[in-house]
Amino acid sequence: MAGIRVEGVARSFGEVHAVRNAAFEVEPGTVAGLIGPNGAGKTTLLLMLASLLAPDSGSIRIAGYDPVTEPHQVRRRMGWMPDTLGSWPTLTVRAALATSGRMYGMSSDAASDRAADLIGLVSLDPLADQPTRVLSRGQKQRLSLARALVHDPEVLLLDEPASGLDPAARAALRELVRKLAGDGKTVLVSSHVLAELEEMADTAVYLADGETAAPDDVARAGQAARGWRIRSLDADRLSAALEAAGFGAVAVVDRFGAVVPFASEADAAQMLAHLVGVGVPISSFAPAVGDLEHVFHDLNRQGGEA
Amino acid sequence: MSGFLRGMWLIVTLDLKQRVRGVAWYVLLGVFVLLVTIVTVLTVVASNAWDTGGGAVFSVVVFFVLLLGTLVSPALSGNAINGERDTGTLATTQVTLITTAQLVVGKWLAAWLTALAFLAASVPFLVFGIVLGQITAATILISVLVLAVELAVIAAIGVGLSGVLTRPLFSVVVTYLVVAALSVGTLIAFGLGGASIQSDVRQTTIAVDYEALDENGLPPNGSEVPCLGPQSYEYQTPRFDAVWGFLAANPYVVVADASPITFDEHGSPRDLFGWIAVGVRQAQHAPDLEPVYDECADWKGYNGYVGSDYETPREIYDRSVPSWFVGLAIHLLLGAGALAWAWRRSEVPVRRLPAGSRIA
Repeated sequence: MAGIRVEGVARSFGEVHAVRNAAFEVEPGTVAGLIGPNGAGKTTLLLMLASLLAPDSGSIRIAGYDPVTEPHQVRRRMGWMPDTLGSWPTLTVRAALATSGRMYGMSSDAASDRAADLIGLVSLDPLADQPTRVLSRGQKQRLSLARALVHDPEVLLLDEPASGLDPAARAALRELVRKLAGDGKTVLVSSHVLAELEEMADTAVYLADGETAAPDDVARAGQAARGWRIRSLDADRLSAALEAAGFGAVAVVDRFGAVVPFASEADAAQMLAHLVGVGVPISSFAPAVGDLEHVFHDLNRQGGEA
Repeated sequence: MSGFLRGMWLIVTLDLKQRVRGVAWYVLLGVFVLLVTIVTVLTVVASNAWDTGGGAVFSVVVFFVLLLGTLVSPALSGNAINGERDTGTLATTQVTLITTAQLVVGKWLAAWLTALAFLAASVPFLVFGIVLGQITAATILISVLVLAVELAVIAAIGVGLSGVLTRPLFSVVVTYLVVAALSVGTLIAFGLGGASIQSDVRQTTIAVDYEALDENGLPPNGSEVPCLGPQSYEYQTPRFDAVWGFLAANPYVVVADASPITFDEHGSPRDLFGWIAVGVRQAQHAPDLEPVYDECADWKGYNGYVGSDYETPREIYDRSVPSWFVGLAIHLLLGAGALAWAWRRSEVPVRRLPAGSRIA
């Protein structure tokens, strides 16, 4: 059980260096978010992990096997959900999943059983015997996820799995991914909807301009000052109190309340105690952005300044 | 090996399932049968086939089926691989345990089987030749086999190009161009190529001195035939023997040459296919560059000039290389080469990605 190991991976297309230097590990039983702005090389990196694209340099191990020299072993153990949603248009959902199963060497019966299970798992039961071309985007997304799971892989690579899903389906996806990790699978999820990753990822891999951020940078970014959103029933008293506490210059006051930067959680806690102490009616006090987004923006800012 | 066949057959059935569920394929098959019916009826009327036999009808129908088959087949095969890439189902197949060889061979078999349906639909019209007479079951069987192989070759070229070229439209068009090059281009190359390679022929004639013969047209006093001295002149002749391979590579020539030939008592072929076969085989032989016509030596007395021995078409046919064999070998090489190229280009993980193409 080796999860995903990536060391010094680079890949260019002609003059374009899509991935310059990617290095990270994902342990079995964990969910890692792959985070980066558009064009950062997320999909290219996933294609290399999925044994479809050979890296120019560096090494990759999926469940302990090299996708370049032992693609067959990797494909047995790896499920990939692409960002482009293709399906055989005239096949029914059931037949499409069974066919995928048979492509992994399952017998007809085993593949049919597996297809039936997966249809239930991704809640496509009412559409099971419809041709896949009638599916909506979100439904195709769920079919694509089911296909990635068809051979019960150890390692799952999900490229933008949540785009196009309604809130209920997102919640179901989150639960499913957590459950898979609980079963000991290794999951790598790419997305730029950070709030969503926040809820399912144990760790994160930050990719910008084709380079993964070093762990030190990530740690530092996590500790940098961040904004906290404060809401009060009485906005005037809140801004007056902030002014009095010396945050008047840095607080951004708007009609929702105020966003105030604090260097640490301890500072934030202290301020909350103070505001409550002076009688400001606080209704909400929370980080303005999630942890992942906070690090993401901070790393991007560092990258911009460098 | 059984694992290979199993995976390959999965690709074949997957492909066929998707094709037969479309309406377009059935419409195409219906139009095909309608056209072959019209051509058969018109040829029967035009060649007075009830009285003269089914040879002409058979030849025309075989050629027409080949024509329609070569027109339909590129459309059925020319987007097999890059079309899947466009719909996003290629990469999801490539991450499974299906190998590239299984994928390419499976796609080719599926395209071929689809094209064979057209051939199967035309078999009743070919069998009609037996009803009219002149045509044997063996002839029909061989023609159908050769037609099937030709469709396999076109399917291979189509699938091959669809694996090599990125855009489906482009690969379909290029497949049509290859078919056109084989059907028409080979004729042009043969004609122009042969005509542009000219050799000098030096012809020598030794004529009888007719003026020296007596009034009965016999040598005077029973002596030797009086002869004139050798006269020679030069002219140029095209060298079709240098380019006959082009003609052999024409699918129509392959089909015609492969069907069993029958000769009449003069050693001449009885049908169109026979004449084509003799023609293409005659082209194999280098012209005699220093012919000598010795009238004197052949002199057999009054009215007795019999001329030199002419080869009958049958003799030419028998002493030549079977052209269909050469043509078919060229086609099979083309088809196998196209498939092998597609195999190489579709192999994952991809190392070198052509500009403008994508994986998934």
